[in-house]
Amino acid sequence: MIPWLRSRMSVKLAVLVLGGTTLVFALVLSYSYYASREIILDEAEKNARNLSLSVARRIEQEFRAIAKIPETLAAFLEISRLDRDTLLQLIRRTVEDNREIFGSSVSFEPFALDEAERYFAPYYCKKKEGLVYEQIGSDTYDYFVKDWYYLPKVLKAPVWMNPYFDEGGGAIIMITYSCPFFERDHNGARGKLRGVVTADVSLEWLAKLVGSMQVGGSGYCFIVSDTGAFVTHPRQELIMSESIFSLAEDLHDPNLRALGLSMMREESGFADVGSKLIGQEAFLAYARIPSTGWALGAVFPRTELLAEVNKLHRRNVFLAAVALVLLLTVSLLVARSISRPLRSMAQATSKVARGDLDIDLSGIRSRDEVGQLAVAFVRMAEGLKERDRIRNTFGRYLTREVVNRLLESKDGLRLGGENREITMVMSDLRGFTALTTSMPPEKLLAYLNRYLGKMVDILIEYQGIIDEIIGDGILAFFGAPEPLDDHPARAVACALRMQAAMDEINTLNEADGLPRIDMGIAVNTGNVVVGNIGSEKRAKYGAVGSQVNFTGRMESFTVGGQVLISSTTYEHVADLVDVRNVLEVEMKGIPGKVNLYDIRGIKGSYGVTLPDRADTLIVLNQEVMVQLYRLDEKIVAGAGIEARIIEISPATAVLVLRESIVQWEDVRIVIRDDRTEAVGVDAYAKVLSVTNVEGRYQALVRFTSTSPEVQKVFREAVHSA
Amino acid sequence: MRKLLVALMFLVCFLEGDGLHAQTPLKKVSLIPQWLPQAQFAGYLVALEKGFYRDAGLYLTLMEGGPGKPPFNFVASGKVTFCTEWLSNGIKKRVAGLRVVNLAQIVQKSALMLVAKKKRGINTLEDLAGKKVGLWADHFFLQPMVLFAKNNLKVEVIPNYSSVSLFLKGGVDAMSAMWYNEYHTILNSGLNEDELTLFFFSEEGINFPEDGLYCMEETLLHDPDSCRGFVAASLKGWLYAFEHEQETVDIVMKHAQAAHTGTNRAHQRWMLARMKDLILPSGDLARLGKLRAADYELVGSVLKESHLIDYLPNMADFYRGPK
Repeated sequence: MIPWLRSRMSVKLAVLVLGGTTLVFALVLSYSYYASREIILDEAEKNARNLSLSVARRIEQEFRAIAKIPETLAAFLEISRLDRDTLLQLIRRTVEDNREIFGSSVSFEPFALDEAERYFAPYYCKKKEGLVYEQIGSDTYDYFVKDWYYLPKVLKAPVWMNPYFDEGGGAIIMITYSCPFFERDHNGARGKLRGVVTADVSLEWLAKLVGSMQVGGSGYCFIVSDTGAFVTHPRQELIMSESIFSLAEDLHDPNLRALGLSMMREESGFADVGSKLIGQEAFLAYARIPSTGWALGAVFPRTELLAEVNKLHRRNVFLAAVALVLLLTVSLLVARSISRPLRSMAQATSKVARGDLDIDLSGIRSRDEVGQLAVAFVRMAEGLKERDRIRNTFGRYLTREVVNRLLESKDGLRLGGENREITMVMSDLRGFTALTTSMPPEKLLAYLNRYLGKMVDILIEYQGIIDEIIGDGILAFFGAPEPLDDHPARAVACALRMQAAMDEINTLNEADGLPRIDMGIAVNTGNVVVGNIGSEKRAKYGAVGSQVNFTGRMESFTVGGQVLISSTTYEHVADLVDVRNVLEVEMKGIPGKVNLYDIRGIKGSYGVTLPDRADTLIVLNQEVMVQLYRLDEKIVAGAGIEARIIEISPATAVLVLRESIVQWEDVRIVIRDDRTEAVGVDAYAKVLSVTNVEGRYQALVRFTSTSPEVQKVFREAVHSA
Repeated sequence: MRKLLVALMFLVCFLEGDGLHAQTPLKKVSLIPQWLPQAQFAGYLVALEKGFYRDAGLYLTLMEGGPGKPPFNFVASGKVTFCTEWLSNGIKKRVAGLRVVNLAQIVQKSALMLVAKKKRGINTLEDLAGKKVGLWADHFFLQPMVLFAKNNLKVEVIPNYSSVSLFLKGGVDAMSAMWYNEYHTILNSGLNEDELTLFFFSEEGINFPEDGLYCMEETLLHDPDSCRGFVAASLKGWLYAFEHEQETVDIVMKHAQAAHTGTNRAHQRWMLARMKDLILPSGDLARLGKLRAADYELVGSVLKESHLIDYLPNMADFYRGPK
């Protein structure tokens, strides 16, 4: 089948329905054809038998009528001695008065009538010129040995002769009825043969009689003798030469021979004679003509007998064809109504396979199984869309690797983890928590999202896994779940990129009138447990362990714009990084000093370098009076400490204050200088160092967040210097 | 154009042929077979139609034989050069003083047989006792009578003059028939083989070779070449006929229809096949046309015993055919 056809369900359905129906029609039609044929053939057979019987009877009557004439004459000759003249008169009248009789003779045994005459056989026959009389016996025509004479003589009974050409008599083809007559004694008992009375019937007369019998349109009747010889037949050439048996032999048709025997031996019958006899399929009905022992056959061409049934059948076939066409139309329509929604669903499916989940199956309005399937399919697409949305949403926080791992791996959601060396990156905005209090929520979120968006992009770019985003803080790690050989370098580079991106963010923020903000990043490498952490209901892929906490601590040492890496990380990337400064810090719960490396850049394939900041402290002529609040865990704690800024740079400042503060402490600096309009605005900073100078403390701080107002105050202070 | 060429070629052949024979004028001879034209004489009909006689330098006129035309009468009167006749008739004629010679013994076996109806209770030879048997007269009569005598059978002999009608109509229970002719006519008149009992004289120790070619001894003395040529062409005709059944039946039918014998192809095909069985028994080509001394002696002795001849002529005088 053409692939197009095979791929079309409607066509397939229609073909199946049509095929099945055609088969049923064919079966029914064949049955009806054969059944009606049987009935009609039965009927035809009956008619044919009746016809053959009636024709045979008709001919029988003729033969009997003819036979009566010589029989009567013979009987008369047996009881009376006639003189010659009377005999001749009698014969003459016999021929004259009987239309069917062509000629007649009374042939005597040798010397039976006259002892001087061996031959005495007066004969009258009809010829063109009229009634002719002749004596048929002579030395050249010894009638005593002729069948027409000899047979009745030997058989002592009348005989119908097969057609023969008689040169002694009429010199035509004739059939003769020969009736012997005998001497009778006074008791009437039969004695010696005296002679034979004959009545000749011209074959032409018989042929005309048989030929006049109408057998349908093209059928015909014929007569065969008791030896199967053709007596009459439309085919003249068969007469006197062929018999039904010689035909059978010539045609190599044993059935025909059997039929011939049946015709000879049965009273009547009906048979299928095949096509050999008359060149087309034919039936033969036959009946015996008793007085001669001959048989009449009526040939019925099969087509004629079956004409009616064929006509009926043709009509049936036509009707069936029309019905099939109608059925084809209907089944195509039905099939299409089924296949069309399926086709649009198939199209939708391939659309889904391409990743396009916006499918519209509203065209399918049916509520059957197909409709239900469509509804389910739409629901499935929606489910898929939901999954993608989840994936995308998660991706913002979880990175695609984790999402994929969760969604695609069977064990992705299993709780539990493994010990793994990874590199963690923790970033935090300096002074952001404090900022949150002074900013309207929408603005705050936009502000935060700008920052987080950028950072997440960078992290994803470097294949970092975002463990957690809490407020402005990000914890990410490298080297899990998929192992990365170069996770320290990658993490450092990523941190540098993140740090570098802060300039861009701040530029945007400043343009929007938002405060500048600085970010600190810590990078640490260490063994942690990674895996799905949480409960069955809520879990995340994350990292836990002391190194995570350590990273958090490290981060608290960073100031804005700084990337601090731990010594473990440094060991991995020592050759690559450009260290600006090494900080020696003390950490809670960790004995001794911890070295943290403030790095400027990384070389190699990652190649990121932070720009150097122009960060020269400028001595202010007019000190800026500020109130300093120490921040304990990002909460402004205690009352403020009066202080004044004596030197300032864009990122750092030197403050003089009476009370001591602690290195690495976070502080909030609120301007309280009456000269400025910006009283009350604040900035956040980290204490980098504290020195005691003549009873006063001088602290170097690095701003982590400065509002534009504060910056304006600082600029003015610098300019007036 | 093609037609013209064919016509031209035909003309050339015709002229050539004519020219050839013009050099050696054809010898006029004639033949009368002992019966009407039928496959019994296929060899001569074929030889005539295929030009074998002309090739032998003979211009043969074929006379129509049949009832009331004893062939030896025609030969004796000099009206006809050659005739076919039964061997027994040939011997009888020779002994009776007609100096005929046998130029070839064509039919080697008796085709004469008795056909009996099983329905009339005839299954064995003995069953013929008391039955009506239709017999032909003359030479057809001898063998049956010898058979009955040999087997001490008393049968009622009914003369049969021509056809099989008497037998078929039940006038007789058995009849003499020729294997190649009447027997087949009976079969094709609606009697089956298994309904008939057959007695072949050739199998009953009375095998009379039948048709032979005859001419007057004088003819042979004066024109031995023509006689030899006639025999050779006739034998060639027979061999050709056996090889070409279809064509031969066509030729036979043509002659039979001209003589209004009222026959059919099936019958002539049967007859031709039987003639082959009779002329070449067991396909033996070496016997073609030859009279065997044993057969001659047998026929002679039967004739003598039947007092139909006083003596048997010397075979060498009588038989002048192929050795």
